[in-house]
Amino acid sequence: MEVTRMSSTASRTYLDQFPAEAKVIKAAFWSSFMALAIGGLLGLVQALHRTDVLRFIDPADYYTVLTAHGVLLAITFTIFFLVGIFTWAVTTSLDRGVVDIRFTWAWYIMMVVGTILVGVSILGGVVDAIPTYADVLFTFYAPLQAHPAFYVGLVLFVVGSWLAGADWFRTWWAWRKENPDERIPLPTFMALTTTLFWYLCTLGVALSILVFLLPWSLGIVDSVNPLLTRTLFWYFGHAVVYFWLMPAYMMWYIMLPKLSGGKLFSDPLARVVFVLFLLLSTPVGIHHQYLDPGIAEGYKFIAMTNTMFLLLPSLLTAFTVVASMEHGARQRGGTGYLGWLKALPWRDPVFTGMALAGLMFAAAGFSGMINAGMNINYLVHNSWWVVGHFHLTVGTAVALTFMAAAYWFIPQVTGKALWSRQLALGQVLLWFVGMTFMSNAMHRSGLFGMPRRTAEPQYQGFNFEPAVGTVGEINAQVALGAVLLTVALAMFLLNMVLTSFNDDSDSLPANTYAGTLSGPEDSPAVLDNLKLWTAIAVVLVIVGYTLPLASIVDSGGLFGPDISGFQLAIETDPALVLESVREVMP
Amino acid sequence: MASATEQSETDQVREIGHEEYDPIGTAILIGIYFLILVLLWLFMYFVEFLGNGPTVVGALLTVVGLA
Ligand code: HEM
Ligand SMILES: [Cu+2]
Repeated sequence: MEVTRMSSTASRTYLDQFPAEAKVIKAAFWSSFMALAIGGLLGLVQALHRTDVLRFIDPADYYTVLTAHGVLLAITFTIFFLVGIFTWAVTTSLDRGVVDIRFTWAWYIMMVVGTILVGVSILGGVVDAIPTYADVLFTFYAPLQAHPAFYVGLVLFVVGSWLAGADWFRTWWAWRKENPDERIPLPTFMALTTTLFWYLCTLGVALSILVFLLPWSLGIVDSVNPLLTRTLFWYFGHAVVYFWLMPAYMMWYIMLPKLSGGKLFSDPLARVVFVLFLLLSTPVGIHHQYLDPGIAEGYKFIAMTNTMFLLLPSLLTAFTVVASMEHGARQRGGTGYLGWLKALPWRDPVFTGMALAGLMFAAAGFSGMINAGMNINYLVHNSWWVVGHFHLTVGTAVALTFMAAAYWFIPQVTGKALWSRQLALGQVLLWFVGMTFMSNAMHRSGLFGMPRRTAEPQYQGFNFEPAVGTVGEINAQVALGAVLLTVALAMFLLNMVLTSFNDDSDSLPANTYAGTLSGPEDSPAVLDNLKLWTAIAVVLVIVGYTLPLASIVDSGGLFGPDISGFQLAIETDPALVLESVREVMP
Repeated sequence: MASATEQSETDQVREIGHEEYDPIGTAILIGIYFLILVLLWLFMYFVEFLGNGPTVVGALLTVVGLA
């Protein structure tokens, strides 16, 4: 349906339309940026420490740093940004505010409290005055054990995100009462389908924490079955990667076409993609456990097959998004087979950041296919290849898209013009260059067996042997990349802070998203049947997980063989260390 | 229906509708991407098998004199 924008909203920003919601979204964005700032800085510490360029932390503290980096970036940064974007998407596309803004603040505050608990628990690993410990990395596998506050914080954060989902559903229900015959607007459709698979997958991690890890950490139960809690983690752990990715996809579908000067190629195709993610995000988690003993090869094979099906929505996205960009470029006068690329608005940091993020995601597609293959995975499992891979996906496809989006969103929710477009353009380019160095070198070092999650991968009597280049050269690239990324991060934050203090509020763009070449009326109504898709998703999960879980419980027991936890917060009493060193040394 | 979908674009020099639009450039780009994927898969063969000592395939190649 061709809709003309009502002239009353002609150049109104989001802040003009929804001042109350804009405040919550702004708060969520800033929570996200703070996590990005701290987490990113710790990334630099890790990169310099591992490559032996600069070592100023105790190697025993490396895991505290790495836990904070993983949790703050993969969980806090991404999800706070997501709740901001989705709240924007639902209210903008339904053209109505949330039902009760107090409820919106309530879930936001709950997420903040959860984050603070988690953050302080981790910090306890390096600050003696804080009696907590949580050096468990963002995967919190047993038998690594954290202080109860860490698990409680995670639960609060996740429940907060559930309530956020409930908020979007309530808003949609309210809208549906007033518009009973309308199709769900695309951005809302995207937010709702994503929320549904988030509910489905977080059930696993909630179970793992509430039934097993938290009671175990509190001393109520003596032990857990590590394979069971691990499997429950990955039941959530794969879907969470799509949870991070969906807001980035949303930006690519509804912002990139507009920024390119065109329209979304196909609304129905976009709906199909999000339905496929709802169906397939969860029953694939075992592909992270190809090397776990105790899970039969057959189940791993099923997970691999499901994973390969998941390539489909990503390839559909590549096609739809690029075709929409081409449409924009041709409307802007671009011609030729590839000459239209020149007509794209490369000077616009929002566009360029998102386009580069998409390009990196295409590269990640290749390393992801390697990870997904059961046999080839053995080659790269737990090596730095994997770290290289996910710095392309969540570390760039998602993070760079979010930063680029922020250049548009922060002016929308603050009513202040972006402080510097040039700085922003330089920033997205620098992130891209920095990540090219760091990620490429990480991939290469994985190929010769460089392990991940290791503070000092330098060993006596053993040298890594790269097929091409040297370890020194590869390390130099990692360190250089990390420095460039950190500079890019600082540029981003500077621009955001100065934008918040900017007096200039002229020439702000209106709060709009892309129209469509082929609209929802071209798609079957069944696509909007969320109940049906949820039911199928549940069935797929039951099919994919019942037998593996049953066999894990059967062979290892619900609460496992008696395994006491490791509390990795190492109290380094120098006298003790010396003593134990003397014991080992002849 | 949502009132927020973008309709006008200042830099636009022509309007291309659904019927007349043929995303040939996209097809080419995706073709190039697939080609890169295929080349990388071929390359992977060298990394995975030839870089790691004898495997079944490696032994076979030695037998037929390819490696
Ligand atoms: C300044 C930019 C960044 C730098 C320099 C950096 C550096 C690193 C390094 C060196 C590691 C590997 C540690 C090891 O294996 O021992 C790592 C791990 C990781 N990074 Fe980053 N990173 C950056 C940004 C990001 C971003 C933006 C994200 C996600 C949004 C991210 C997510 C992760 C995750 C999830 C891990 C794995 C943690 C674990 O193994 O438990 N990083 N990072
Ligand atoms: Cu996965």
